[in-house]
Order: sequence, then C-alpha cells, then structure tokens
Amino acid sequence: MKKSYIIGAVVIALALVMAMYSFKSTLTSYVRVSEARVSKRPVQVAGIVVKGSKRYDLKSNSLIFTLREDGGDEMVVQYDGPRPANFDDVTKVVATGKYEPKEETFTAKELLVKCPTKYERRVQGE
Amino acid sequence: MNNLGLMTMWLGLVAICISSICYGTLCFKKESIATRSAARLSFIAFAALMTIASILLMHFILNHDFRYSYIAEYSSRDLPLEYLISSFWAGQEGSFLLWVLIGSWLGILLMFKARVMEPHVMLIYNLNNIFLAILLIKQSPFRMLSFFPPDGQGLNMLLQDPWMVIHPPVVFLGYAAFAVPFAYAFAALWRREYDGWVKPAMPWTIFAFVSLGAGIIIGGYWSYKVLGWGGYWGWDPVENASLLPWLAGIALMHGMILQQMRRKLRKTNFVLAAFSFILVIYCTFLTRSGVLSDFSVHSFVDLGITGWLVLFMFVFVAISLGLFIVRAKEIPVSEKGNHMSYFSREFGFIAVVVILCLSTVIIGLGTSAPLITRVLEKASKVSTEFYVDTNLPLGILMLFLLGFVPLMAWGKNSFSGLVPKLTWTLIGAIASGVVTLVNGYPGMGVLLLSLFAGAAVGMNLFLAQRLIRKRITISSAAVAHLGVGLMFLGIVSSSAYDRSEKVLLAQGDLQSAMGYEMKFQGPTFSREGKGVRLHLPLEVKKESSQFVARPDIFSERGRDGQIKRFTHPYIQRGLISDLYISPVDFDPGESKGDHGSHLHLKKGQKVGFHDYEFTFIGFDVSGMMGRKAAQAMKVGADITVSYKGAEPVSLKPMMIPGKEDDPSIRVRLPGPEDAFLTLIGIDAGAKTVTFIYQGREPAAKKQEKPPALIAEVSIKPGMTVLWLGVFLILVGGVIGIVRRLPKRTIS
Repeated sequence: MKKSYIIGAVVIALALVMAMYSFKSTLTSYVRVSEARVSKRPVQVAGIVVKGSKRYDLKSNSLIFTLREDGGDEMVVQYDGPRPANFDDVTKVVATGKYEPKEETFTAKELLVKCPTKYERRVQGE
Repeated sequence: MNNLGLMTMWLGLVAICISSICYGTLCFKKESIATRSAARLSFIAFAALMTIASILLMHFILNHDFRYSYIAEYSSRDLPLEYLISSFWAGQEGSFLLWVLIGSWLGILLMFKARVMEPHVMLIYNLNNIFLAILLIKQSPFRMLSFFPPDGQGLNMLLQDPWMVIHPPVVFLGYAAFAVPFAYAFAALWRREYDGWVKPAMPWTIFAFVSLGAGIIIGGYWSYKVLGWGGYWGWDPVENASLLPWLAGIALMHGMILQQMRRKLRKTNFVLAAFSFILVIYCTFLTRSGVLSDFSVHSFVDLGITGWLVLFMFVFVAISLGLFIVRAKEIPVSEKGNHMSYFSREFGFIAVVVILCLSTVIIGLGTSAPLITRVLEKASKVSTEFYVDTNLPLGILMLFLLGFVPLMAWGKNSFSGLVPKLTWTLIGAIASGVVTLVNGYPGMGVLLLSLFAGAAVGMNLFLAQRLIRKRITISSAAVAHLGVGLMFLGIVSSSAYDRSEKVLLAQGDLQSAMGYEMKFQGPTFSREGKGVRLHLPLEVKKESSQFVARPDIFSERGRDGQIKRFTHPYIQRGLISDLYISPVDFDPGESKGDHGSHLHLKKGQKVGFHDYEFTFIGFDVSGMMGRKAAQAMKVGADITVSYKGAEPVSLKPMMIPGKEDDPSIRVRLPGPEDAFLTLIGIDAGAKTVTFIYQGREPAAKKQEKPPALIAEVSIKPGMTVLWLGVFLILVGGVIGIVRRLPKRTIS
C-alpha cells in the first residue's frame, strides 16, 4: 500500500504541475486598448462594437469590426472563429487575442458576446 | 405586510427553523414521538408554503401582474403559455425559488426514507434549506415596483426554446439532490455509522448524477441547436459551474460503490460527499455573485447576496471539516486494505476517483482563475486551451481503464486470465484507430483518446449485451460506460474533424460548399411577436439527396431601442455527420425591381409611376365596421389605376396590421401579369397612403444586386454518436437507480 501511495502522489503531483504550467501559459489578463497595443502576450479587451463598423471579409474568412472601450479608445479587431449567436452592432464584447502592430489589428482568438441572459437586466425606476 | 408572496416566504423560513430545532432536540435528547411529529409537520408546512409561494408567483406571471419587478423583467403579455411558465425560472430570484421548492419536495421523500438516521439527516439537510430560504427573502421574486408597468420586458429570445424551458428545473433537481448524500454522509459521521449510510444514500447520489447530467446535456444540446456557433461546450464559467459538482458526484458514486462492495474508501467518501455538495454552493457563488461578470458570456449582477453565499459556504466547510477531524481517528480502515492488488477492479475504482477529482480540481482552478489572479495582480482568465490540454491526458487514462477494468473481478486478477477476454477491446480500438487514421492523423493525444474510446465502446458493448440478456438491472454500469466511450468518440470526431467554410450565396446562384450544391432561394419575412423573422431557404443537393435547408435570422427591437439579431442554424442530421448551416450575414441587395419600391399617394392627386397613373380617392373603413378588437382591424384605400393611358380601374387594397408581408392581401394591377400593390401605410392626418409596388421595372434601369446570404457551412462528424453516448450515460444511471432502490419486501 505504501508504494501505491507514493505512485499515486507522484501522478497527482505531476498532473498538478502540468496544470499549473498550462494555467500560467494560457492566462490572459484584462487590459485597456492602450495596453493591448504594446502587450506581447495574449490579452482580453472589453468594449462595444462601433455601429456600422462590422463587416465580413470573405477573403480572410473573418469578421472585422472596430471595438470601442469605455474611455473612447478604439481599435480594429479581426476574428475568424465561429460566429457568436447574437453578435450585432453596439453589443458589449470581450475579445481575447493579440495585437498585430504591423497590420494595426487585434487578432482575436476568442470573442465573447455578453449575452443578455438571465441574470442581467434591472427594471428602471426601482 | 401586504405582500402575500413575501409573507409566505417568511412563514416558510419560520417553519423550517422550527423543524430544525425539533430535529436538533431529537439528535441530542431521547426520542420523543411528539417532537418527531412536530419536526415532520413543520417540515411539511415548509414544503407546503414553498409550494404556495411558487403557485402565487406562477399565478402572478400568468395574470401579467407587472407590479412585481421580477415579472416585469422576465415576462410580457405576448408570450405563449410555455414561455410564460418558463419565465418563472428565467432569472436568479425565481430559479432560487425553484431550487428551494424542489429541495422541499425531495426533503419530504427523504424524511420518510431516512428511518433511524432521520433526525441527523434532516437537521443537516435543513441547514441547506434555511440558507436557501434566507437568500430567497434577501432576493425575493416578490419585490414590488411603485408603479404598474403596462407590459413586461419579455423573455430573452435565446431562452424561447422548448429545451430551455426544461433545462433549469432539471439542473436544480440535480443541485437539490446533491444535498442528500451530503446529509447522509455527515449524519453517519455524527452517529458513527461509517458504513450504514452508503446503501440508503446510493440511489440519491445516482439520481443527483442523472438529473444534473441531463441538465448539462440539455444545455449543450440547446447551445448546438440554437446558438449557431456550431459547438455544444465552450468551457464558460456557467457551464463549468454545473460540470464541477457533476464530476465530483461521479467520483463520489464510484467511491460509494467501492465502499458498499468492498468496505473501502470510508474516509474518502466523506470527503467526496462534502466536496460535491460544497461545489454546488461554490459554483452558485461563482455564477451568481458577479465575481466573474467580465469573464463569462452570461452577464451576472450582484444582487447583494455575495456575503450570504460566502457565509453559507464557510458554514458547510466548517461543519464538514470539523466533524471529519473529530471522527477521523475512529473511522476504521479497510480490513483488506493492506494487500490490495494493483491489478484488480478495486484499483480501477480508486484510479477513476483520483482522475475525476483531479479533473474537477483543475477545471475548478481554471474557472476560478479570475478570483485567484485578482488577489495576486490583475484579474485574468484562462483560455479554453487550458481545459482541453489538462483534461486530455486524464481522459485518455480514464478511457484506457474503461477498456478492461469492467472485465476484472474483485480481488487479485491474473494478467494471463484477462488477456483472452480482451477480444472486443481490441476490435473496438482497431476499428476506431483505422477510422481515425483514414481521416487524417489528429495528433498523438487525440489518436490515443480515440483508440481507447473505441476500446471502451467495444468492450462495454459486449458486456452490456451479455448482462442485459441475463438481467437488465445489472447492466447499468456497462450501459453508462458504453455511453462514455461513445461520447468521447463523438467529442473527438466533432472537434478534430469538424470542417467548415464560409460561402457567399447570392439569390439564384448555384454555389458549392463542403461538397454540397447550394442555391439561395431568396428571403421571405414573417412577423413573430415583437420581431421579424427573416427566412433564408437554401436548396441543398448532394448526389441523389436533395432538401431545403431553412436557417433564419430573427430581429427584435429591444427595450433600449437597439435591434437585436439572433441567427438560427439549420441542421441536417446524419448518422455519420451533421450538415450545419449557420447564417453569418445577410445583404438585402439593391433592387428597385421585384422586391418592391415605395409609392406615396396623397388624396386627390394624380401620380404617374412607371407605366401607370394612380389616383387616391379616399379611405375605405368598411372593414372596421362592427369590429371591436384591434387585431383584426382592416383599413383600406380607394384608388384608381390606369395602365398606359387605358380606362382607369378601381382598386380597394386593404391593410391588416401585422399581415403586411402576407401575399394574400396584395392586389393585382391591370396590365402586365406579375404586377402587384400592397398597402403598407396610412396617415389619416396627412391624408396619404403608402404602397409597395412589386412588378416589372421599365427597361434601362440601373443594375440590380440580388440579396445575398453569407453562411457558414460545416460538416460535423460524430454528433449523433455524441448524443447517443450521453443519452446512454443517463440511461445507465436510471437503470442503476432502479437496481439500488430499497426492495419493497424489506420495507
């Protein structure tokens, strides 16, 4: 039994070390547009889709739009993943990816649309 | 207090407290029939009051009583009955009520099944209910507005789906049920009955597993069918919140089976019971307190219950940890513990418990990343790769075990005895490996996963058919494990071999995408509720098969004035692969031709339009006579039309609000065959009417651009296998419950 405990502990420790490594390497922090422009690691930026800026580029097979954050700072985001369900103008989105200074575009790997589900709205006048 | 609902909740809290005090007395003092009756009666009163509160809320919803802010927020007058019902649990407050309601009903069942353990089990079980009742009062669905809004905000379009009607109740059934094994485990710890609790708690654990599992699967299925992003699982915190207690619950289930059969894992099972239950609360905290609001697809707002949830969690951690430490020394270690073989069924069970716990911890870590990193520096989240990378090796290991452990006997097995039985394992692995490699090398990890998943399917299929022929109830594990294998095959094929391409489909053009010939037939509109549905039918052809795919885009103007769009994919299911067509964008095109141009007429004026000359004589209100309801109101216009100077013809086009797109209300114009006029607007004050003209345009008009649809066309192999797999997991669970229900003859 003693031996099995040791083997078990080693396996568990290995798995956890691996998990921690993966954890650190895939961690993306929440930043402002200005910080995203200089960041070398993948980051997350939140903002709204500027009205009318959204278009589909069939050549690169991707969605391109301008993201505007709270302070008014803007950047162009390119995203070629699966299309979010209720993505539209002026929805709040969170883009995860990296800024490409050459193309002056933020290439998003993940796009999160804040869906107006369940636990969100409050009735005005309360 | 003139708020009946809130009053009921308060009374319920009082009832459950009385019940707890009585049970507490029974735990510490001698048995007394009077106290026990009081405890039971007050619990029944609690359940009755929760039922009354729910009936009240439902009654207010069905009667559109928008004075209640909850009802104003989540329902509206135009909702059909099924979505009115589901708006009960569309928000946080209502879903807490549903949770307590289900918890109270399960409690009555538990009360009469727990026998000698009743006082302790019910006291611990009640503690959970007390907390939920407090949360419910803090965050009541019966909060009233100071005014009476004429209509509610309505139910989010995405939730208007039959699967979303049943998803929350099923999830909460699972959440509520996880409190039962916890209550049993810690009542047993209290009473020093270290083995006696496993048997009565077993059906509850499996029940919790089945219902939470069903809830998760329904959620995934809805996501695939409705959201149109082509996936069923996105590792979103909300999804993980239901997955975490579920995985811990599966670990608990295996631990309990091992304890029941071999008297092992006594201590571990107490930890697992606490782990799975506390995870339910922790996940409620994660998703309901607003701590993850910037990291989830779902927006959460803190409704002021964060503090309570944290307290709730600490109390349960303290109780379970405290009781466990006090009793830990006494818990007997397995008699056979010291000579357990590594090559045995027992070892397989222990391994799977470890694997599932590791997976739970890792996913929990990832989901809590924003909380953990917030303490250190900047709040960050992990990307989905984290979950995939870390769970892949665990999945491989688990499926590897599933390929042979179920064949082993308890106790020591010989390797040479096992090998001849592995025919089906090998057949499954080889078949799956060949199919995988023929379709392209997916990388070592995925290849191993599909090899072992195939092995697990082969072996468990063999085992299941053998056991079902013997007696169906003993096939539960084999059926569930067959489901696990199939599910992983489905996951591998649908994620590693998913192919898609985006195409631009102009109306009438024949295009090919993913090996299919597609022709966009052109858009049609229909009005639904407060929005408009844009139907985008496509003729799809491949070899001899032909069908019409009907994806659509629904647009609705929200309360904030923004137009919200919801795209709905069309799925053509197949045994091997699904064809998934999701509209990406729609371009109405520029045409002054067939699709109508507007024509404005003012009373008494002659207007030339193409080859026609129109005169608007006056309004025709005959359709309004004798009508009370505005719904069927018809308004018309009297006009005369002459074609190329011919004799004027009198026409009476009608307008029926809400039916503007219905071709039956348009009128044919004199002259060419296919020219029509539809009345779409009337302004009685300015004495003008507006029409849409559909027909030929005079020659030499500017170039037309037909409407076009951009669609994402994907081939998703293995989806049917995946759904079959998860279904079998649940079927296996249900068989397991039936098998372990207490026999009637004994009771």
